[in-house]
Amino acid sequence: MVGSPILFVAVPLLAAFLIPLFGFIWKELVRIVPGIVLLYLLILSVSLYIQVLQDGTIVEQIGGWAPPWGINLVFSPFTGLLTTLMLFLAFIIWLYSYRFKNVDFEPSKKYFILLLMLVTGSIGIVLTGDIFNQFVFIEIMSISGYALTAFYTGRDSAEASFKYLIMGSLSSMFLLLAIILIYSQLGTLNMADIASKAHLMKPEFRVLALVFFIVGMGIEAEIFPLNGWAPDAYSQAPGPIGAAFSGIVVKAGIYSIIRVTFTLFDVEGTMQFLVLMGMITLVVAEMAAIKQDKIKRMLAYSSIGQMGLVLVAFGIGTEEGVFAALFLMVNHALVKPLLFLSASYLVFNSTEKSIRELNGLGKYLPLTSFLFALGAIAIVGMPPLSGFWAKWSMLTAAANSNMILIIGLVLLVSVVEIVYYFRVVNRIYFFKKEEDVEPKKPTINAMVSMIVLGILIVTIGFYPDLITSYLHEASESLLDKGKYIQDVLSAGQSIIQ
Amino acid sequence: MDQISFDISIVEYGFFASAILVILVGLYGALVKKSLIKIVIGLSILESGVNLLLITIGYIQGGTAPVFSPQLLKDMPLTLENIKALGNEMVDPVPQALVLTAIVIGFGVTAVALSLVIRLYRHHHTLVIDEIKNLKW
Repeated sequence: MVGSPILFVAVPLLAAFLIPLFGFIWKELVRIVPGIVLLYLLILSVSLYIQVLQDGTIVEQIGGWAPPWGINLVFSPFTGLLTTLMLFLAFIIWLYSYRFKNVDFEPSKKYFILLLMLVTGSIGIVLTGDIFNQFVFIEIMSISGYALTAFYTGRDSAEASFKYLIMGSLSSMFLLLAIILIYSQLGTLNMADIASKAHLMKPEFRVLALVFFIVGMGIEAEIFPLNGWAPDAYSQAPGPIGAAFSGIVVKAGIYSIIRVTFTLFDVEGTMQFLVLMGMITLVVAEMAAIKQDKIKRMLAYSSIGQMGLVLVAFGIGTEEGVFAALFLMVNHALVKPLLFLSASYLVFNSTEKSIRELNGLGKYLPLTSFLFALGAIAIVGMPPLSGFWAKWSMLTAAANSNMILIIGLVLLVSVVEIVYYFRVVNRIYFFKKEEDVEPKKPTINAMVSMIVLGILIVTIGFYPDLITSYLHEASESLLDKGKYIQDVLSAGQSIIQ
Repeated sequence: MDQISFDISIVEYGFFASAILVILVGLYGALVKKSLIKIVIGLSILESGVNLLLITIGYIQGGTAPVFSPQLLKDMPLTLENIKALGNEMVDPVPQALVLTAIVIGFGVTAVALSLVIRLYRHHHTLVIDEIKNLKW
């Protein structure tokens, strides 16, 4: 035993609140400590993940209270994969923003505190096995998200943040209503216990609880009618936070929807509902993306579209479909942060942040432009890169389930994606540079973080077998509901005896 | 175990109805009002309504606190029958713990919301939400 899952929540929370104290000792510690914490957690997560693949799921009981009474953390092949992915991205984002506001001490302190809180909340959502605890983690994540969106006082960030806050807190109330419904019917808050007793609920209550859950969590997962906050928040927040939203927060939202629909309730027609919502999200987002003239808004809509794609893949419901959805999630989690990170250097000194101002930057920022183009190719799904394998596995999954409509739609949407991404790449490389925009050279640490992401995308593109076995383990672990229930509840019984 | 049903007395029915009424008032305030401050107040009322609903679930009319004091255990040793009787008498403590947490979270959200309202007012010199539209709605 190298460590226990509770450290994933305890250590970053402790570090976040100790950062101001570290700042009194030495100001540079404010920047260094988050990195050390995230690196430690990443190593811990990888070693725990390897252990879990050999010995089976780890169930941590907090405070010695056995499930279903106490809160428990579940580190299974599925949640472990997501935790490792999130921590890796968090470390990359820390590396990228290491010199963030380096002339100014106060803002950087707040920035790193909030970043650690955001990561804590997201990881907590993935690991926890208790619905009320998940609600608390969602609130930790979204409150730090509101604050990070409003980080720059100069921009219209307060407006974006207020919009996010109104939508977020309204939907979290629906989440609480769902929890109330479940508790009043079943008298338990533990996910495994709910899953084993869900058939005892009256059908109408079950459907109502599921709908409230999807409304409550859809806001973080950017499902169609609930995603109005995303383009504003992504474009007004600091660049690395846009990457954190698309790479970490959204993944946590998708996770909770998937956990509720796959494990908690077995309502007939949920899968078709997921496919429908995913398709609407996909089409609306891609149509909106093609109209945008601001680069970050375009990336935000593309991110929403990708989440729609993930939902459709989950909605196929077979093992292949879940595998494809996880592949799409991993691909998106690597590519979209790369696009956000490189794009925020491309528009660093421009006031409008519009696509027009990217003209001819390929000569001035060769490596950043190249990485952006690489990300664009990967997310569209062109052959040599990771995005191709993700979309390919999704199309085969859809073909094997005879869902022809999905195949047609995905191919059509890919064409739309090509249009709006290559319009940008075209401007970067083949247009003449406008005089008034002076590009800013990326710092070394930002460059390193982007190159790491780029190398990973290319490596997965050429050797997809490197990750497919892990993804298969994860998708089996998600689909095997009985094993999840047994793993969690038997951990309680062994203590009683 | 068969379908879980619960008997609702007229008093509890009144509690449920009033909690849902408070929720609806809060939703109206948050969604219809044009003033930023009134929207935040609406959110706050909505939270109170949800908390009220949550606490109503565990409420038993004339129930006692769920504390197993030495005196109580002396009077009623923990046999199955006694536990069943106590279960009908004692208030469920879990919803109360949940409400306590939810109140703290609601406080945090309201504080962030009000600080954002201050920022918006300084930036736009108005609290009317229709006039704050630099970003597309």
